[in-house]
Amino acid sequence: MAIEQVSAPKQTSFRYRVLWRQTPQSFRIGLIVLLVHLIVAITGPFWAPYGFSQMGTGIPLSGMSWTHPFGIDQLGRDVFSRVVHGSHIVILLSLSGTAIGLLAGAVLGLLSGYLGGWFDNLLQRLLEALISIPFLVLALIAIASAGPELSGNPILVVLVVALVYAPRIARIARAAAMDIATRDFVTVARLRGESAWSVMRRELLPNATGVLLVEFALRAGYAPVLVGSLGFLGFGLRPPTPEWGLMISENRALIIITPITVLGPGLALASLVVGLNLFTEGLARILGRTVRLGNQ
Amino acid sequence: MTGAQQLLEVRNLSVGYRQGGGWSRAVDDVSFSLRPGEVFGLVGESGCGKSTVALQLLGFRHVSMRLEHGDVRFKSQALTSMSRRELDELRGDRIAFVPQNPTTALNPGIRIGRQLTETMLAHGRVKNAEDAGAIVGILKLVGLPVDPGFQRRYPHQLSGGQQQRVCIAMALACDPDLLVLDEPTTGLDVTTQEQIISLLSELRVRIGVAMLYVTHDLALLSQIADRIGVMYAGRMVEIAPTDEIFLRPRHPYTQGLIASIPVIEDLSMSRARPLRGLLRRRELPPGCPFAPRCDHALEQCVAERQELETIDDARAVACWRWREIAPVPAEPAPPAGVGTLAARAAVLSVDHVSVIYGPKSRGFRAVSDASFEIKEGEVFALVGESGSGKSTLARAISGLTAPATGAIMLRGEKLADTVRHRSDQQRRLIQYIFQNPDASLNPRARIGEAIARPLVHFFKMEGAAARAKIADALGDVRLDGSYQERFPDQLSGGERQRVAIARALAAKPALLLCDEILSALDVSVQANILTLLRQLKSEHGIAMLFISHDLAVVRMLADHVCVLYGGEVMEIGPREQVFAPPFHPYTHSLLHAVPVPLQRPDKPSKAPKATEPRRGEAGCVYAGRCPWQVGSICETERPPWREGEGGLGLRCHLTLDQLNARAAWPPTTREGIAV
Repeated sequence: MAIEQVSAPKQTSFRYRVLWRQTPQSFRIGLIVLLVHLIVAITGPFWAPYGFSQMGTGIPLSGMSWTHPFGIDQLGRDVFSRVVHGSHIVILLSLSGTAIGLLAGAVLGLLSGYLGGWFDNLLQRLLEALISIPFLVLALIAIASAGPELSGNPILVVLVVALVYAPRIARIARAAAMDIATRDFVTVARLRGESAWSVMRRELLPNATGVLLVEFALRAGYAPVLVGSLGFLGFGLRPPTPEWGLMISENRALIIITPITVLGPGLALASLVVGLNLFTEGLARILGRTVRLGNQ
Repeated sequence: MTGAQQLLEVRNLSVGYRQGGGWSRAVDDVSFSLRPGEVFGLVGESGCGKSTVALQLLGFRHVSMRLEHGDVRFKSQALTSMSRRELDELRGDRIAFVPQNPTTALNPGIRIGRQLTETMLAHGRVKNAEDAGAIVGILKLVGLPVDPGFQRRYPHQLSGGQQQRVCIAMALACDPDLLVLDEPTTGLDVTTQEQIISLLSELRVRIGVAMLYVTHDLALLSQIADRIGVMYAGRMVEIAPTDEIFLRPRHPYTQGLIASIPVIEDLSMSRARPLRGLLRRRELPPGCPFAPRCDHALEQCVAERQELETIDDARAVACWRWREIAPVPAEPAPPAGVGTLAARAAVLSVDHVSVIYGPKSRGFRAVSDASFEIKEGEVFALVGESGSGKSTLARAISGLTAPATGAIMLRGEKLADTVRHRSDQQRRLIQYIFQNPDASLNPRARIGEAIARPLVHFFKMEGAAARAKIADALGDVRLDGSYQERFPDQLSGGERQRVAIARALAAKPALLLCDEILSALDVSVQANILTLLRQLKSEHGIAMLFISHDLAVVRMLADHVCVLYGGEVMEIGPREQVFAPPFHPYTHSLLHAVPVPLQRPDKPSKAPKATEPRRGEAGCVYAGRCPWQVGSICETERPPWREGEGGLGLRCHLTLDQLNARAAWPPTTREGIAV
């Protein structure tokens, strides 16, 4: 069967351009925003005009200027430099928190969906209880119960993000596992006497990657807000860390005098979240397409 | 051919489907015509474009499909250039469609009576959706019960055969001139299929409707069609009257297709060689599409296009060598029976096993009191309609479903009820192969990894040793070692089933549970896998529990046959004894339902009295449906187990002599096929 070629084979660069044009627009915009954030996060510490805790960079509360685009806070620190320095902290905290949540949620959810029975029942009730608590309240409970000596520890923030996301991801993974577990190749593995762990790793996980990736992307898009909220409430990192939520909280008293010191970190946070969301929405659409095609 | 006489004319039809960035041609220059009241059969392997042609007769259009050239004329009107509105008036009214799968074709939320009048309402034949007269009229036409209770049922409360009758009734509601049927019996049991076919034959006599019958089953087509068109890779390769197709097939593809039909009657009959190879649409030569698989292909075949050429009255063939070619005879099939079976030890024995779904006292009795033995190296076939408990038994043996009572012994050792409590050794010795090869392979694992799993798990084998074993296992199923690197979606259905068999063989089992492993495959692929199973049997001496509803296949492969009905063993014995009188009445009806080429059903079979087996009631499970029922004793007393010659056993109130007198085999009216 001869397939009429719409266009003759062209150079590689041309093919990439065609591929790029086929992606959803949200994906393209999101990717550009994300790339800018990533570049800033990686290279920022080397070119930021001032150090993140360097004082006396100018007249405190002097507002916007070319040398201090986000103004200067009451301790005389350059807010723009602090935002640049904080970029990698925010990104690292949210991504690693989501990743740990994904890992824990996927393992629990897949096992629960495959095994069923009392294990599934017990776990699902537990997860439902966790989901029913508003996530910020849950995060505060977790931090409070960790005790004062651990507060301000970045690892605690990461774990709290994971704790908030894991139950939600586990539910999605469980649904995927229940669907995959009915297929014959899983029955074959069961008849062979494979352990649940091995079935999960070899048979379920590879077939659930599409769903899980989309889930990861969607959760990661909201994680900076969660980290920022914790910082704002004073349950996140400790000063003088240039974490964005913490900066907004520190400068909130100045919002009438120099609003840019609050707006600056706020804009950085907003653009990261919008970028991540656009990117993940586009990614979900691309993956959804290929996942659906792969099933046929 | 004058246009005025024809009901339907298809001229030079070519249809393309969107594929990747271009268009691939699914139907290529197909022409045929139908007279009023004629039944035209369209046959070919999957992917040959037969359903696409059928949909074109309904004026079907879709964004990913385009009509490249040609037209379809119905009563001299071109369907291909009609507007949507004009088509809507014609479809359902003059041209009606019967789909393949009645379960998904009927709306599950609408009662049967209302559903039946939908077509009539759409075309203004009735004013009221509950028009009792109209409903009773069409229900009677298709032999369904007319009582109001039946009309109030929902589709899921009907059996598959009844659902298909409802679909046919809906299609016939407006008394159309043409009925397009797309594989209408493919999902149904043989006995149900027989009833549907005799209903269709009866309908064409009574109301004179013309039919286009699309199927992959040539034997079935011979029972109903007047003329048959054989399609291959989107082209029509032969058109001939039904008898001619079977007696003198001209195209090599037709010859191979006929030879691939398993024959139930006579195993020694000389036959042509079944089709070899596969239809690969991407690698078609510019000339005859069949050339890569043809035994007679010359260079000219590959290079030059073969046009459909009229060679006789109402006969046309697209092969320029049709005068000279003769079918290539098949190698004689090795005898299936091994002979000294009695001396062999039993590998598996099933002892009074019952399987009940739900609570033991009032649950659903899927299998009741089944006992049999499978000897080392023999093929033991389980036969019966869907719902007869065949797969449930296999699941119980494999440990997926726990039996309620009874014991299953593997080489004299009692097996635990569930697979979790069995030893690795026991799990290794019993390997399960599933019906659907698409679902039995992990789509994200390479073929090599899939076959490596049993090696790693049972033999702790890894690295080079495992790779050699994988290549061996692939060799056992006649696949090349290069398949290791592929993913399942790069394989055809037949190749996937081979991989599933290879994976089972890699565990070095003593017993293979083959659960309908041929039914999802095309006839030609079926014939190849069947040959493979035979070879495996003689090479490895593995015992097989072969579950099938296809008696012809069972007859070719099995040593022992067990017939199940409603979860109970009806008849059991060596193949020669089961396929010869005395027959159990159920075995006899199964044998008679198998379509045999050129043999039309003698008379329209009686409508089934009861469709459900009488599970858990007094008397015989088959009572109520049995054509030879003795009397009330069948409904009150459980029939005795009768032992016949050569290890035959059956459960019936009639004595063996009485059964002997009832039926002869093969039926005297049948004639041999000169292939």
